[in-house]
Amino acid sequence: MLFFIGQVLPYIAATVFIGGMAWRLTSWLKTPAPYPITLFPAPTSSIARFGAIGRELLFFSSLRRGDQGLWIWAWLMHISLAMIIAGHIVGIYYLTHQFTLIGLSEAASSSLSASLGTVSGVGFFAALVVLFYRRTAIPEVKRLSDPADYFELLLLMTIVVTGMHMRVTSLAEEVNLVDIRTYLGGLLALRPVPIPEQWIFVSHFFLVNVLLIYLPFSKMVHMAGFFVNRILLTKPAPSYPVQGAVDRVAAPVKGVSSNG
Amino acid sequence: MGKSPLHMAKEKDVTALGFSMTAEPKQRFQALAKLGQLRQSLRSLVVMLETCTKCGRCAEQCHSYLGTQDYYNFPAARAELLRRVYKRYFTLQGRLFGRFAGAEDFDAETLDKWLTYFYQCNECRRCALFCPFGIDTAEVTIAARHILSELGIIPRFMQGIAANMAKTGNNMGIPEPALRDTVEFMEDELREETGIDIKIPVDKPGSAVLYIPSSADFFTNVDTMLGVAKLFHHLGWNWTISSAMLEAANFGLLFNMDVMKEHNRRMVTAAKALGAQLVVQGECGHGWRAAKMYTAAINGPVPFAIRHIHEVTAECIDELPLNKLPLRATLHDPCNYARAGDLIEQPRKILRAVVQEFVEMTPNREENFCCGGGSGLLMEEMKDIRMQLGRKKAEQIMALGKLDYLVIPCSICKAQIPAVMDHYGVKDLAMGGLMDLVGKALVLK
Repeated sequence: MLFFIGQVLPYIAATVFIGGMAWRLTSWLKTPAPYPITLFPAPTSSIARFGAIGRELLFFSSLRRGDQGLWIWAWLMHISLAMIIAGHIVGIYYLTHQFTLIGLSEAASSSLSASLGTVSGVGFFAALVVLFYRRTAIPEVKRLSDPADYFELLLLMTIVVTGMHMRVTSLAEEVNLVDIRTYLGGLLALRPVPIPEQWIFVSHFFLVNVLLIYLPFSKMVHMAGFFVNRILLTKPAPSYPVQGAVDRVAAPVKGVSSNG
Repeated sequence: MGKSPLHMAKEKDVTALGFSMTAEPKQRFQALAKLGQLRQSLRSLVVMLETCTKCGRCAEQCHSYLGTQDYYNFPAARAELLRRVYKRYFTLQGRLFGRFAGAEDFDAETLDKWLTYFYQCNECRRCALFCPFGIDTAEVTIAARHILSELGIIPRFMQGIAANMAKTGNNMGIPEPALRDTVEFMEDELREETGIDIKIPVDKPGSAVLYIPSSADFFTNVDTMLGVAKLFHHLGWNWTISSAMLEAANFGLLFNMDVMKEHNRRMVTAAKALGAQLVVQGECGHGWRAAKMYTAAINGPVPFAIRHIHEVTAECIDELPLNKLPLRATLHDPCNYARAGDLIEQPRKILRAVVQEFVEMTPNREENFCCGGGSGLLMEEMKDIRMQLGRKKAEQIMALGKLDYLVIPCSICKAQIPAVMDHYGVKDLAMGGLMDLVGKALVLK
């Protein structure tokens, strides 16, 4: 069983995740988009377009527009998640010593890493709880919700709980980051080694694999749909040979010179 | 909930338009086949159906939901009427997980709800502005109405307009002789008012500019047409209207995409036949969207420019001899101007130049609320619902206190807002188009 979870499942999960997302994305992109559906006011240059999509991505500006009640929690959830993902990548690679790169001591780096991780984890969990509560508390949203909507929030909660558990209990002593790095390095190098046998790590890792397999078939594909949609909505409006035609038609303009 | 009050077109009329009526037992099967086709041809629809996270943010942003408090008028719930069916028959997760993933069988009740609720969406796109992903329920509504029309399920009002359009080249069904009579009458009126011979040329060969008014401008909104005629006279433009294409509106966009294309083709043909270098669209919201956003894709590239009368006017407004009218006026942004047609500042620039006091309603510009008549819901039998859809607009206007004039520069708004204001107890407010005011402020020699 541990062999399956540790050395087989991660490859299945990675394949399903990458393949599934690619399939969803290509199924959208290969569908023609014959009509521009630009939502105005729209950016008028490609730099402005890039900026507009970037602002949406970083600050959720449309969600923030008008009413910030949902925005603050949704934004907190996503920004915490981004921190957590980034933290996993650099924290595990540098064994929490990543901040020595900006001049901190190893001890200070580890403690900053732990603090950021804890703050992000708590923020992520709190946001998930609020979003779950909101889904049940607002009658229209409750009526709109399907089991999958709750399942996804619960799945993310269990992942963050198992993850945080490793950090805040005495298990922190047991869970050895060096072993985990060795294990994950082996997976990435396609030379899998046995998974470290701490049940809390195994369950956290297993749940993440479940998430990766489930994700391409869930509403969590909004991470890709966001871009496809935003690109459609910011497409430049069609242009017709406007300027020349109007000049020709308008000249001579009666009354303009005398009254202007 | 409940059945739609819409009066539906009869089989012989549907057939006359070139549609066929699908028998009831086969309707859902046919609808799925059509949905399958749209899925292969419209990226916007597919992404919008597959990206919603059901956060519910759109509910409080939709005037249709705010006005009716009906769950299915909440944009995400409205889109779900189609999305749940789409998931069930076209997605892996829907086929595997069914209701768990929000997929549902397509039953007869759902098809009824399509008719009811996709004809209570004004296609105003406000939800898209507030959605974190920009999901535009109007795209879903356009698709659903298209599918319904392909089954022969077409409101009588839409069918009547399409039939008029095919026969006479305008929604009101004005035949050419009647048009010439009306134009003569309008020219008389202009002469009486100004003492000048101002022409409204019909089918004038060699015209450089083809002006496409809303056909309602020859019935109820005459002042809009008079204002435009005065402006063109002042500018000395070589212009005409076309008896073959006397309609800025394009109701195809509101119930069937093929009818929309046909209408658009008619516009392009008329402009080409005339050799016009410039097509100027009159005051019509969705018609402007159709002309600006769809022409290039359907019939492009075209040998003429397409502009809106407000763009043209805003560009020369500083040079016009104007007598500011002593009015306190506000501007209602037609949805298809602000969010779908890039006409936001131009009408403001014009209005500031022609009245003494311009006040903004809140919210305004791209955040405006729809009048409740959008997407062609003007049929009489929809009146009760339409008044609910217009509630938010009435509140916005009433919050401004005493007004002398309300600018509603779109033919649908011009038909809907007077009824809404009357319904909510505002009886003495003058309202109409923006070009009406330009015409009145313009000092002619």
